[in-house]
Amino acid sequence: MAAALPGASIQLLGEIARGDRDAFARFYDLHASLVHTFALRILRERSEAEEVVQDVFVQVWRQAAGYSRDRGTPEAWLITLARSRGIDKLRSRRRRDEMVRPAETAERLPEPVALESATGPAEARATLGGVLADLPTAQRHVLELAYFEGLTQTEIAARLGEPLGTVKTRIRSGLERLRGALSARGGAERA
Amino acid sequence: MNHDAWLEQADLYALGALDGEERAQFEAHLATDCAICAARLREMGEALRALPESLPSVAPPPALRARILERIAAERAPAAAPVTLRPARRPSRAVWWAGWAGLAAAAVLLVFVNTELRTTRQEVHTLQGRVATLQAELSRREETLRFFSDPGVRYVSLAGLKPSPEASAWLLWNPSTRQGLLLARGLPAAPAGHAYELWALAGGQPVPAGVFSVDAAGRGLLRLAELPTDHAFDTFAVTLEPTPGVPKPTGPMHLLGKV
Repeated sequence: MAAALPGASIQLLGEIARGDRDAFARFYDLHASLVHTFALRILRERSEAEEVVQDVFVQVWRQAAGYSRDRGTPEAWLITLARSRGIDKLRSRRRRDEMVRPAETAERLPEPVALESATGPAEARATLGGVLADLPTAQRHVLELAYFEGLTQTEIAARLGEPLGTVKTRIRSGLERLRGALSARGGAERA
Repeated sequence: MNHDAWLEQADLYALGALDGEERAQFEAHLATDCAICAARLREMGEALRALPESLPSVAPPPALRARILERIAAERAPAAAPVTLRPARRPSRAVWWAGWAGLAAAAVLLVFVNTELRTTRQEVHTLQGRVATLQAELSRREETLRFFSDPGVRYVSLAGLKPSPEASAWLLWNPSTRQGLLLARGLPAAPAGHAYELWALAGGQPVPAGVFSVDAAGRGLLRLAELPTDHAFDTFAVTLEPTPGVPKPTGPMHLLGKV
């Protein structure tokens, strides 16, 4: 995924906060694919994913002035917004499906391809995604269930039929690795 | 909770994996303006970018871009934009806030209605179950009432025999519908693996009429099994038999009575 310099995005957000619609269009072009890909992974349904993209960017337009660098990079901010919208939609769809059973099944996209095959090994090694692909499958799986499916650790334990303690340990080890990879990357960028 | 434990909670919170109560506790901690946890959340937020960023990229359709830009064009400049707000716009800003308040109220209402609907659905389900139970109970009672009010019903008294001289039983027997109800009392508890079996006899030939057990007070109740129509039953007897009952009596006879 094309990564823009964080500085550029921050500057664009400043311009958006002043009502610059061209800056908004540039910001959209930089990040729309990431938000769309993410929303599509969570919801696996095109029209709902597009609604999330629209909601997130309208929120960016309205709240750009409230963005502060202290709260993280613009990308992390966008991802937080997208995840919260996406998981909300996913939960309300689950509630709806529970109420109207059998649910009229909307066109759902198939299960996502495994992450290893998503990025070629060479490309993957250059990014954080490489770390992810290096995670033991069980660790990656619990992280994905929490992050993409919106399940809590108790729900994950129930879904997998595993003891809660096992799930907690896996999540903790997975997160540790991700954090480790982040500091390694930070070190490389500073060097 | 020592602070390292809070940091672990911060990681789980960033991932969205904390359950309701733990989540509320962590949010309360975060509300104390804990700078360490806020920093950790920020760090974890960046680390978690790896998850969506490693997905194969799917560009959104161009029509979506057009739709969003159109939407933005229709929007006022961001609310917090400095100095560009003219004083004359102030009232409409109030309207804008009122609109948001309305939306928030509608969202709350929607959640409420949703919850209510779900509760109502569960209640309907429960009530349907109760109605079915009551209907079954009612038809059993109607049947019993019809049985008792039939003038053809005979009353047969069964007396206790040698193994249980204190025992006795009543049998309500309708020879034409071949329905019957036995109420026994004073019978000793059946030993393990045994139960009482009722026999209908026609010309000394026993036909099995059902198996029953007795409660701690020695009482037993049995609705008679379906009996053949080509027999003129004149006698009823109860014997102690191995469960689940036998086709021909083998055990000691406890009760006997003639129609």
